[in-house]
Amino acid sequence: MAVAGAIAALGIVLAVVAPGYFSAENLRDLFLANLPVLLVAIGMTLVIVAGEIDISVGSVFAICAVAAGVLAKAGMPVWLAGAAACLLGALFGSINGALVAYAGIPSIVVTLATMVALRDGLRWTTEGAWVQDLPRAFQWLGLTQAEYPFVAASLTAVLTIAFAWGLRHVAAGRAVYATGSNQDAARLAGLDTAAVKCAVFAIIGTLTGLAAVLNAVRFNQIPSNAGIGLEMKVIASVVVGGASVAGGRGGVPGTVLGVILLAAIGPALTFLGISAHWERAIQGAIILVAIAAEGMRLSVGGRALAPVKTAQA
Amino acid sequence: MNKLTSAVFGLASRSSSSGRASGGWALLAVIAAETALFAAVAPGFFTLGNFFEMTRFSVELGLLAVALTPVMIAGGIDLSVGSMMGLAAVCFGAAYRTWHLPLPIAALCALLAGCAGGGLNALLIARLELPALIVTLGTFSLFRGIAEGVTEGAVNYTGFPSRFLFLGQGYLGGVIPAQLPVFVAIAAAYFVLLHRSVIGRALYAIGFTARGARYAAIPVARRVGLVYVLSGLAASVAAIIYVSHLGQARSDAGTGYELDAITAVVLGGTSVFGGRGTLRGTLLGLCALAVLQTGLHLAAWPSELTGILTGVLLLATIAADRHIRVRAGARPIEEEFEVKNTQVAVLCAAILTGSIIVAGTNIWLLRGVTTASRLSDGPPAPAAAHRTVIAMMPKAKGDPYFVSCRAGAEEAARELDVELLWDGPTGLDAAKQNELVENWITRKVDAIAVAVENRAGISTVLRKARERGIRVLTWDADAEPDARDFFVNQATAEGIADALTDEAARLLNGKGEFAIITGALSAANQNEWIAFIRKRLQDKHNGLKLVTIRPSDDDRDKAFAETQTLLKVYPSVKLMMAISAPAVPGAAEAVRQAGRKDVNVIGLSLPNINKPYVRDGVVQTVVLWNTRDLGYLAVYASVLASQHKLDAGARELQAGRLGHIDVRGSEIVLGAPMLFNRANIERFDF
Repeated sequence: MAVAGAIAALGIVLAVVAPGYFSAENLRDLFLANLPVLLVAIGMTLVIVAGEIDISVGSVFAICAVAAGVLAKAGMPVWLAGAAACLLGALFGSINGALVAYAGIPSIVVTLATMVALRDGLRWTTEGAWVQDLPRAFQWLGLTQAEYPFVAASLTAVLTIAFAWGLRHVAAGRAVYATGSNQDAARLAGLDTAAVKCAVFAIIGTLTGLAAVLNAVRFNQIPSNAGIGLEMKVIASVVVGGASVAGGRGGVPGTVLGVILLAAIGPALTFLGISAHWERAIQGAIILVAIAAEGMRLSVGGRALAPVKTAQA
Repeated sequence: MNKLTSAVFGLASRSSSSGRASGGWALLAVIAAETALFAAVAPGFFTLGNFFEMTRFSVELGLLAVALTPVMIAGGIDLSVGSMMGLAAVCFGAAYRTWHLPLPIAALCALLAGCAGGGLNALLIARLELPALIVTLGTFSLFRGIAEGVTEGAVNYTGFPSRFLFLGQGYLGGVIPAQLPVFVAIAAAYFVLLHRSVIGRALYAIGFTARGARYAAIPVARRVGLVYVLSGLAASVAAIIYVSHLGQARSDAGTGYELDAITAVVLGGTSVFGGRGTLRGTLLGLCALAVLQTGLHLAAWPSELTGILTGVLLLATIAADRHIRVRAGARPIEEEFEVKNTQVAVLCAAILTGSIIVAGTNIWLLRGVTTASRLSDGPPAPAAAHRTVIAMMPKAKGDPYFVSCRAGAEEAARELDVELLWDGPTGLDAAKQNELVENWITRKVDAIAVAVENRAGISTVLRKARERGIRVLTWDADAEPDARDFFVNQATAEGIADALTDEAARLLNGKGEFAIITGALSAANQNEWIAFIRKRLQDKHNGLKLVTIRPSDDDRDKAFAETQTLLKVYPSVKLMMAISAPAVPGAAEAVRQAGRKDVNVIGLSLPNINKPYVRDGVVQTVVLWNTRDLGYLAVYASVLASQHKLDAGARELQAGRLGHIDVRGSEIVLGAPMLFNRANIERFDF
């Protein structure tokens, strides 16, 4: 796969020029910093495979983090506050899902609407103030700084493997592919496609809530403007990982690779001593090269079979 | 949007047979309702001048939306248009200012850049058949990235000749914004392309089914490629107009415009799946958004409502449209949309109602005024019932820094019993600042106090406000001196830079390496501070070495991650200087988690969000002035100026609890920057 190749190339350059990049400490920091992107990207994989898209995740992310903080501050145990934030995420996701599946509004319209509405709603209520003076147990979920990465890593690993396996091998997972490949055929085959769509949005909402909590507990205060641009990062990771925005194609392993590639580039440029000013251009170029290479590979291999998909976004 | 334009297109599309518009009924009703509502509650909304002003703000966005319509009708999407604007603006600025090319050639350079960018999209999407969403997501980063790389984020091209600025700021015949004809011409060209040509017909076919279109002998790749090239071209035209509107060309031009443009197109009933939509719908969509935004500003309702209402509007309109379509029966493709007489009647009725309300309120107002003046004929003239209105604008509303300024501003407004309108862009956005000032001029406030984001860009509109008899003050950051009456100066850029650099030198004992975490790479303030910091290093602190500058985009989490990386890459760095309010706690947390007790953190930020770190000794010093006092002083000065108790030549003023404040020339000086550290930080709460 082109993405794996790009990661390998980047890795070799780094290993030669800046071996410090592969220190356990740096890898741990990279993992923790990109944990939210990974979790949301897993949810986004489901949504995109089902033929939909969700651009409201950044706003939901910010709201869930603030909600977890406010609840914890009000005296709720941290794990309960975290669970409540996940539930809130699930609620927002279900609202998106219901509007898409039952009201029949295209998902990009629905989530564009919830994205701006939720972001401005949060701005209005918080007026930009941060959640401060959190209980001591909030940071690191009451664990120590050394223990927390292991807990977060195991939780993420379990979730990633569960979704990767479940999407391929469980009936509910196959239903997502069926819905995304051809909704009408899936419905005629007896699948409740509306329920599938609603479910994938509920899942991405929950995962966004979880990502927000796991990110928030690394700090002792919560800013109210978090997650701006998260949707772009996440969607880029998922599509670079090989998912088709037309639906029906993609998977969690590819997404993980996509997240790794995009997460690795930014700090890699600092390690290589490249000026911050060119970072965005290089990121864009790498995305384009990766998908162009992938596109050409596919079109050489299967042009006769592939339907004309020109400009079908 | 301009009523006339949309009406013309509305009538024209009557006989159009290509595709069907939708959102017609629902959107017309929405616009009528908005107009009626704001005409009733927002002073100055229902005037001809305001309608023309609205069109001015909508031109750049409108161009993008118009260009996106055929792209989306052909089943694609272009997320790169906003970034393309940034790149074209930089090309234009560089061509004119750096290479000293004549204006038309510079404009040509920008247009060529637009074509090239659009061409790249076209190549990847139409030839290589890659999904449009991913390709333009990639070029979204690429274009903006090139613009930032070339200018290092910091170069701001200004000093364009006035005949060029006329295009974006002037009026034809005294009322019509100069850029409006350009927009009308381009929209008309797009109308012909989309609704009157074989190519337009082909685009609908492609959007409906690309495969079918190919079997019908339509050159799919060429047609699709064309719309992307045109979209790049339209974005570069928008960039030129944007530059002439703001008087500056910077790499951040058009940030976030892509989503606004898509919102307008989708609101206008264009299907995101392709094959359905009209230009008329897009113009109506633009109109609905523009009316909403301007109306909220004029009514002085919180601008956060814009996002919430836009979201509701999107969902409601699309749902209503779908409901109507489903009820009308399954005639998905060939169904015609016409402006029915009933619809015209409803629209006319709404406008009529609106104008009657306006007329009514005017008569009532007039009567009020005449009564008052009759009363004031009597000897003990009671003060007119008019309550002083002070309009005050921060650079960004959600920023904790400005939130704390607001607290002081409101305190002063209560003391003086004046009405305070506090509104501003939600993020740093020079264009939005201009728009708000225009709205406040229309609303006829007594004084305007602006924290200027872009010096060159806002001065024209501030001068206009002064001409209309409104007192204009700037605070936090200044405009051109002749564009305002007074500048409430909290501390100069040089003062801030010197304070930070001296503090760094003190902590490092005059010798060592340090790194800077800035806000966004293109942030004007931060870049100015960095320039002065470099100067101070050269002049006074030769032993200090600035090893690198990293952006945080004003995001605490990004500042955290950048600092973590910096600590590993540059182990010899002993001091982190964070010069954006959220970046200081971010950098501090990274230093604390890394356990690097040898690294100092200082920066420009607010005491409250840094208290935990100052207490623990992670952050040594926070440099800032008393932001609450700054807001307080700005309101006091505005009120005094509006009552003509503070005029040119004044040497001092009395500002409530702050007592005597010096006025130097036309600058009202708050005082030197303060240093917050362990010893004093607990005494401050903002």
